[in-house]
Amino acid sequence: MSGLHLLFPEVALSVMALGVMLADLFIAARHGRVLYHLGWIASIVALLLVGVTISDPARYQGVGTLWSVDPMSQFFKMLVLLTTVLCLLLGLEYEDLPPAHAGAFNALLLLSTAGLMFLVSAVDLLEAFVALELVSLSSFILVGFERSRSKSNEGAIKYFLFGAFSSAIMAFGISLFYGVAGTTRLIGLSRSLASNPVFLLAVLLILLGFAFKASIAPMHFWVPDAYEGAPTPVTAYLSIAPKIAAMAVLLRVFTILLPASALRLTGLLALLAALTMTIGNFTAFFQDNVKRLLAYSSIAQAGYIMIGIVAGNTLGLEGVMLYSFIYVAMNIGAFAVAQLVASQAPEGAGDRYGLSSFDGLAQRSFGLALAMAFFLLSLSGIPPLAGFIGKFYIFSAAVQSGHYWLAACAVVNSVVSVYYYMKIAYHMFFMPAPDQVPLRLGPYLCGGLAVAIAGVVIFGVYPEPLVASVQASAQYLP
Amino acid sequence: MTLSSCLLLSGALFLIGIFGALTRRNVIGILMGIELMFNAANLNLAAFNHFLHPGGVAGQCLALFIIAIAAAEVVVGLALVLAINRNADTVYVEEFNLLKG
Repeated sequence: MSGLHLLFPEVALSVMALGVMLADLFIAARHGRVLYHLGWIASIVALLLVGVTISDPARYQGVGTLWSVDPMSQFFKMLVLLTTVLCLLLGLEYEDLPPAHAGAFNALLLLSTAGLMFLVSAVDLLEAFVALELVSLSSFILVGFERSRSKSNEGAIKYFLFGAFSSAIMAFGISLFYGVAGTTRLIGLSRSLASNPVFLLAVLLILLGFAFKASIAPMHFWVPDAYEGAPTPVTAYLSIAPKIAAMAVLLRVFTILLPASALRLTGLLALLAALTMTIGNFTAFFQDNVKRLLAYSSIAQAGYIMIGIVAGNTLGLEGVMLYSFIYVAMNIGAFAVAQLVASQAPEGAGDRYGLSSFDGLAQRSFGLALAMAFFLLSLSGIPPLAGFIGKFYIFSAAVQSGHYWLAACAVVNSVVSVYYYMKIAYHMFFMPAPDQVPLRLGPYLCGGLAVAIAGVVIFGVYPEPLVASVQASAQYLP
Repeated sequence: MTLSSCLLLSGALFLIGIFGALTRRNVIGILMGIELMFNAANLNLAAFNHFLHPGGVAGQCLALFIIAIAAAEVVVGLALVLAINRNADTVYVEEFNLLKG
């Protein structure tokens, strides 16, 4: 095991996660909230440790036995940790989680984050597979965490069945890969493998496994059900962290280690990207439940991010990183507002996450409605907000690499998506409010919202610092 | 015992597993199908390690990892089945129909 010291933020986070699980034994159930605080503090500590590895690259970056720690992987690790912190802040204000199991909830979320951190550094299929399973197993349980609610159970079992099926397919793909290449390491594969049909089959089966996590088209069926069933903080987490981590792996594999053009897979990846965003956008049209709507929107967003991988150039690489960063801010924000609105929906109004819960939000809490409008406009890519910068980068990458039809398809999709995002805005601003009672906004959710809105607005108006840091992080080993 | 007979067996196992996972109505049955798929991968790994790459142990190691992961997967899966069975009193997938749209 050479280079284990490269992974010390991951190891530290795993230890802290187990610590939180142990702390659960000593803290009475009515003080369960303390564990959430421990959880987000542990994530911040891990975030600082990643910061240390960035500030001292000579010592903490390099290629180990199964992993490669480079600025690109550290960038994605910071994003994943940031998502975890924000989701735990959401969790502090989410009332439906059983208080008696706060330790398990936090430990599972942190372990899943540790798995994602291992995943974005992986340059060996063994590590990638084990990390992916760590993430999957933790998130199956997290989705079904509200044990007494049937929807949560059902979402979890559907997620589990799809997840187990796709990881079995991926395991078979890895076994074929090993047979043909003689190794599971992705570095230094001979170029002659690209013409071997069995190798190509292996790569496709492995791609399916990652497509499941990133919710790319043929493997997206679980998304709406799992997202609707899961507790909202978990939904927010699942819609962001595993998705961008899986994108980071695909980025590393298909633009750096095994270029898609060498495998002649660029056309297939482009087709999957186009299919993913089209399915996501056109199905989101018909949704009345905000969580489902945001689920389909997140499928569409995965399609946009994938364009950067198809492009396969430096601009595409930077575009994926930039878009992932902005995606964290805008999606967390949207889910935070959805959670708040649903938690204070009038009693007996049917589906708490229905669009009608948003009726007249502007008259009840204007600031909140405005914040949601910003997140939605950013998700649809309207100019003064950050989402536009991300989309602009990604679409230019597609044009630069000559994928004109893909860029055109993405632009048409963005225009279409305005309709369903604005459907929520219509309910907020133009429908009569059932009452004039302003929503109660807790301090932690308020903090999470502030971070999200700052990200969406500041980087939309003044993107230079973000672009500069992404360009500095777009370096990889080996 | 040759490589091709091992691969035929594992390929057949994998296809039977996929068929089972896609056609079974019972969650437990689907889980059994998925287990077959994992075991096909393990058989492949062991066979490739033995016949094609006898120098190293990478294939055997990976097979051990997959065995452990598949076991963990079943534990989580059965726990979820128990939870849903307690609330909805069914193990048939077509009766999981609260979430749709």
